[in-house]
Amino acid sequence: MLEAVELTKHYANATLALDRLSLRIEPGEIFCLLGPNGAGKTTTISLFLGFVAPSSGSARIKDLDVQSHPLATKRFVAYIPEQVMLYRNLTGLENLEYFSALAGQDSYSKAALLGFFDEVGLPQEAATRRVGTYSKGMRQKVGIAIAIAKKAEALLLDEPTSGLDPKASNEFSALLKRLGASGVAVLMATHDLFRAKEAGTRVGIMSAGKLLTTARTEDLSYEQLERLYLESMAGGAMQGVKR
Amino acid sequence: MIARIARKEFTEMVRDGRFRGGALIVLVLLLSALLMGWKHYSDVSAQHTAAQRATREQWLKQEPKNPHSAAHYGVYAFKPKLPLSFVDQGVDDYVGVAVWLEAHKQNDFRYRPAQDATAVQRFSELTAATVLQLLLPLLIILLGFSTFAGEREQGTLKQLVSLGVAKRDLALGKALGVLAALAVLLVPATVIGLGALALASGPESLAMSTPRLGLLALSYLGYYTLFIAVALAVSAWAKSSRFALVALLGFWILQSLVAPRVATDLTRWLYPTPSALEFAKSVSDDIAKGMDGHSSQDERTQALERSVLKQYGAKKLEDLPINFAGVALQASEEYGYRVYDKHFGALWDRFERQNTLHQVGAIFAPLLAIRSLSMGLSGTDFAQHRHFATAAESYRRVMIKAMNDDVTLHKDADHKATSEVYRSLPDFEYAPLPLPSVLAAQVWSLVCFGVWLIGSTLAALYAATRMEV
Repeated sequence: MLEAVELTKHYANATLALDRLSLRIEPGEIFCLLGPNGAGKTTTISLFLGFVAPSSGSARIKDLDVQSHPLATKRFVAYIPEQVMLYRNLTGLENLEYFSALAGQDSYSKAALLGFFDEVGLPQEAATRRVGTYSKGMRQKVGIAIAIAKKAEALLLDEPTSGLDPKASNEFSALLKRLGASGVAVLMATHDLFRAKEAGTRVGIMSAGKLLTTARTEDLSYEQLERLYLESMAGGAMQGVKR
Repeated sequence: MIARIARKEFTEMVRDGRFRGGALIVLVLLLSALLMGWKHYSDVSAQHTAAQRATREQWLKQEPKNPHSAAHYGVYAFKPKLPLSFVDQGVDDYVGVAVWLEAHKQNDFRYRPAQDATAVQRFSELTAATVLQLLLPLLIILLGFSTFAGEREQGTLKQLVSLGVAKRDLALGKALGVLAALAVLLVPATVIGLGALALASGPESLAMSTPRLGLLALSYLGYYTLFIAVALAVSAWAKSSRFALVALLGFWILQSLVAPRVATDLTRWLYPTPSALEFAKSVSDDIAKGMDGHSSQDERTQALERSVLKQYGAKKLEDLPINFAGVALQASEEYGYRVYDKHFGALWDRFERQNTLHQVGAIFAPLLAIRSLSMGLSGTDFAQHRHFATAAESYRRVMIKAMNDDVTLHKDADHKATSEVYRSLPDFEYAPLPLPSVLAAQVWSLVCFGVWLIGSTLAALYAATRMEV
């Protein structure tokens, strides 16, 4: 579903943001990219969305190259940033309707749209309220509702749970798991090891633009994951010294 | 898709207090300017009708007198105001509205309010044209500066693009959204303008004005479209919405305040016009000394005397079957016509060249194009003033010839013209310059306007499709 082939990105200031990343995420998988700031997680997601062009290699969605099919590839994916931004002068429902219409789903009835609100656990009364008053957790849920309304086959999430309280964060993972179970491929960048173990099916640990190691979450306990992460960071740091 | 984007932009703007406040101010200003313009128009055109009737009355009611004295008495010609002048006063305040038609002289126009005004007054005058040409673009800037830059800062632009929306559709939708928000203002104003127009003019002039109003509305629509396109292009290209706002305000200041000033100074420098005193002196020199500089008025009269005597085979003027005084008067008038045609022709050609330069200057500042087009379609540009002045002068020549002919026909030195002779002169009737000729005088405005419209649209699409998210 999502595939990175030798994906590399140099920025203009010569930093190597991503170094020959190769990765394949199948439908139903929830792949969590772990790593510190600057590891290349956001760059990976930006490359899958075509926000930036790769220096070499390619990002593919459903076997289509993102660069050469910028609009077609976006039809299959939904993007949820760290902070889902909504138009504050519109109500929650209007925001959902607008984003899904622009995603090509413009024939939902009001009831159907309210159904999506329900599905992600947003109260009905919030639907007709302007989103200026929404909490971060509610915004992230609207993001998921948009993804569901869009009928996205893949989800690209960039630290979607950072800053959420544990309850909201937990609800968010539950939603992700449900989507994964229904066959959606998920690529999520996160700092949160606990969330990755909880929601993810696989994790990848990145540092300085390199994917150091990947593992299946079911093979690891939380403690083992944490140790793996810390060891990878130490190794990555060593590598940095050697270079 | 585009319609959906436009609708959302529109909804957001209409719900925004800043837009509502700004729009309300502009609407109030626009409507009051239209109202004042309309009041001014109906007052002036009533005065015009009354004055035109009075001058005809005075002409007809002259006591019997020497026909040449009647020609000296003369009549006034008043430039009719076209109904659409309530939108745009144009150059009327500068070129005057009335001219005295009398023997021997082609007079300047009188009643020029600008003569008594200070330079500062130019800015304080509130006309519909000022609101439409200067304030509305400001409103467009306020609506448009953040369209892309603001969404980029907010983060919604990334989300929009991630949905698979073509950036071109985004740009078109946003442009339509701003246009729709403007329509909230402009549609009521146009309807009120149309109502005022219907009220201000009879059926005949309504038929004449309607296509002009249509074109006027279309021109302003084009002006706003190009402003929206410029705003979108800058907003897509700018790094921040604050920078976009500053850049757009800079553009507004350059094109609205600096460019007209520069254009005026430049035209004055490139095509200087003689002062009124110099102009009068060169006319009187040409008449006194002859256009070639060495055939004085006396010499010309003696030559005429010889040729008339020869024509009639007479020895003395007394033997002629006609009154030589009338022939001599007409001949000197006709010499005057040549002198006036030369000097006024050169002066007016110069004014027209100045106008053309202004129009061409629109390639740098679209305001200059819309200003010229707006005046033209409102019937208050220089081309239409010249057309009226030429018609008035032709009428003067008909009047003078009628009086001189009456002198020629009567050998009796004490002959007095009767009211029958006065009546034989038809009343002055003026048909405004037809629309195709009005447009022909605006050809450079139209060209520059087209260039801006196409150029800004392409720039907006280019900037939008290539913008960073």
